[in-house]
Amino acid sequence: MLRRLKTKANVFNVTGLVAGLLIVIPLLTILLRLFEAPSDAWVHIRTHRLRDYIEHTFVLIGVVAMLSAAIGFFAAYVVARYEFKGRKTLQWMLILPLAVPSYIMGYVYADMFSYIGLVPRSLRDIGIELNLAVMSMQGAIVIFTLTLYPYVYMITRSALSRQHAAYIESARLLGASKWRTFWQVVLPLARPALVAGTLLVVLETLNDYGLVAFFNVQVFSFAIFNAWFSFDDVGAAIRLSAVLMIIVFVVVVLERVLRGRRRYDQTSRPRPLPRRALKGMEKSYPWMLWLMLGGGFFIPVGYLIWLSQFSRVGFFALETIYVMLNTLTISLAATLIIVVVAVMLANFGRGRKTRGKTAWLKITNLGYAIPGAVLAIAVHVFFVRLDRLLYPLYRWVDADTGRLVLSLSLTMLLFAYVLRFMAIGFNTIEASYDKLGESYTEAAYTLRSGKMKTLLKIDLPLIKTGIIGAAIIVFIDVVKELPLTLILRPVNYNTMASRVYEYTSEERLAEAAVPSLILIAVAAISVYVLTHVKSKGGVGRVRKN
Amino acid sequence: MYVKIESLCFAYEKHDDILNNVSLTMEEGEIVAVLGSSGSGKSTLLRLIGGLEMPGGGHVMIDEKTLCSTTVFVDAEKRGVGMVFQDYALFPHMTVEKNVAFGLNKLSRAERAKRVTQMLELTGLEDKRHRYSHELSGGQQQRVALARALAPNPSILLLDEPFSNLDTDLKYRIRTELRAIIKQTHMTSILVTHDYEDAKAIADRIVFLEEGRVVEESRIPHPKA
Repeated sequence: MLRRLKTKANVFNVTGLVAGLLIVIPLLTILLRLFEAPSDAWVHIRTHRLRDYIEHTFVLIGVVAMLSAAIGFFAAYVVARYEFKGRKTLQWMLILPLAVPSYIMGYVYADMFSYIGLVPRSLRDIGIELNLAVMSMQGAIVIFTLTLYPYVYMITRSALSRQHAAYIESARLLGASKWRTFWQVVLPLARPALVAGTLLVVLETLNDYGLVAFFNVQVFSFAIFNAWFSFDDVGAAIRLSAVLMIIVFVVVVLERVLRGRRRYDQTSRPRPLPRRALKGMEKSYPWMLWLMLGGGFFIPVGYLIWLSQFSRVGFFALETIYVMLNTLTISLAATLIIVVVAVMLANFGRGRKTRGKTAWLKITNLGYAIPGAVLAIAVHVFFVRLDRLLYPLYRWVDADTGRLVLSLSLTMLLFAYVLRFMAIGFNTIEASYDKLGESYTEAAYTLRSGKMKTLLKIDLPLIKTGIIGAAIIVFIDVVKELPLTLILRPVNYNTMASRVYEYTSEERLAEAAVPSLILIAVAAISVYVLTHVKSKGGVGRVRKN
Repeated sequence: MYVKIESLCFAYEKHDDILNNVSLTMEEGEIVAVLGSSGSGKSTLLRLIGGLEMPGGGHVMIDEKTLCSTTVFVDAEKRGVGMVFQDYALFPHMTVEKNVAFGLNKLSRAERAKRVTQMLELTGLEDKRHRYSHELSGGQQQRVALARALAPNPSILLLDEPFSNLDTDLKYRIRTELRAIIKQTHMTSILVTHDYEDAKAIADRIVFLEEGRVVEESRIPHPKA
């Protein structure tokens, strides 16, 4: 027993255990509160509002999922299967809308199409009356689709460009038309990627608070915030969170059930189909993609640049610089912690895969599936408890201390970022480890190299590209994060995202343009680096086996 | 002659010739093995017959029908040529039954079911009907690929390195089995391989391919089955 414990008590396993506990405990704390007596506010919400919330949420995620899947797949198919001028540029630029947070895109389009906005005003000059209700469910659907389709695009493109040519050739030799081959072979084989991408879109949509609050679309995250801030009723917010988590759970389980026994594994050495030239009608495809990119990136960015000239707070104002430094510091800190922990976790998951280990890793990476509003409540409640627990310690250090220390500090926000985005870092790093295989590490162990030495001298240099990729993706997400930041930040602390939110809720759109542009620039540069660092060798050259 | 291939040429852009004036004639029901090392152009020969690549020159004629010449190029989906790929390329998201039925969509439902059953009986896979390919052994997967290719009754069957994915001890048994099945359907077949033993066990005749040219031919005596 002791011997078994000793061999298992290495740094990787300990990190794995602790990381899992740190997410399980906050979630359990809010689960326990479900058993307390319901408040009046909850009774009111349940009888009068809940149905609407559920209905709106399902309409929103349903339509956004379908549209993003269709657009993302189309973009991926065109870029992976056709050769045309500008393909390489489109290939990375199609990811750019990820750099524009949906709440920023929301206020840009709302302002542009408002009664006195740029578009209706210009149209009125030439005698056309346009009344587009952008701030509506439909508007929210379009904006989520335009900003989130890159998730589907990225995953599906890589799947399509690896799709084995022999499957398609087989279908043709068996007499199937191009159309039938597409529907019965190409599309089903790309299904796992399509579903994975769409699931990310759904999770991101459920997570959003900024856009739905601004457009007054009454979905769950809106309801949770409302219960907490307007009714000041944490209990009701927790109950709403529980319902939302059930929805997330149903979506994830439904996908598993539908997949059944089928598998989509392809051969180990796929021979990809060569790209072909566009013919006839197909020649319009790249233009459609450019148009989409215009709506999802160039138009909002252009409009923001135009808007920024009216701002009373400039790019180099002290306030702007201060907020920018805040954002960069906390984002880099969160990214660093996530990457280090994710590497430990990936090592914990390597080697013999037991069922318990796999399940524990799934739990550790649960954060991404938990919408920001829910996670914020869990972390908040957890930290208040922690402060209560640590109060004697605080008193011992400083006799005049207040009761709340940790929950008033940045630690709480940082902790929430780490929980939420751990999965993104972990999945990327785990994928690099999978590609690498075990043999190098095992060879090092047999050469008497210790766990830490092997990690630093062998593993890390080999998966360097994967780590850089993970860091960039996490960084982009933290920089854009809004719901957690709004709830968990200390008083008077602002990141660029929360500053944008504050300005827009005060209807100071010109002022919001400046931090918006900086935020988009930081994220867009990260996207550029991400898409261009990967193409250079690195792990790609190391073959499995 | 049932199959007439005349001076077939093929080259990728800016590369040396892969196939250089390859000619081959076959009788109906004959099994020919094309033997050559990797890079000899033997897989390309099959892809040209199947219509998956466009030849630089030459003719392919099967059963009095021109499949390609200087003026004609019949698309792969219209050729009626059966092919067993090196890694079988069984559709991973379909059951055995659905894989075999894939090429039969022009038949009525009843006829299709009958043909699928017939093919599964021929290859001894009746009990595996509802399995997915990842639930089958390598040998069974190969038989599914064979059943799928034979089901639409193609004018010719092409087999690309059919044994490269099988264990050696399994291979011996499967070779004779494969020959028996093909002979039973009286299917004209071309098999490409790099293994002389494989070629000898299955084919009626061996054609040696080297650097894109036919260099030698030999006939293999087989006892009447």
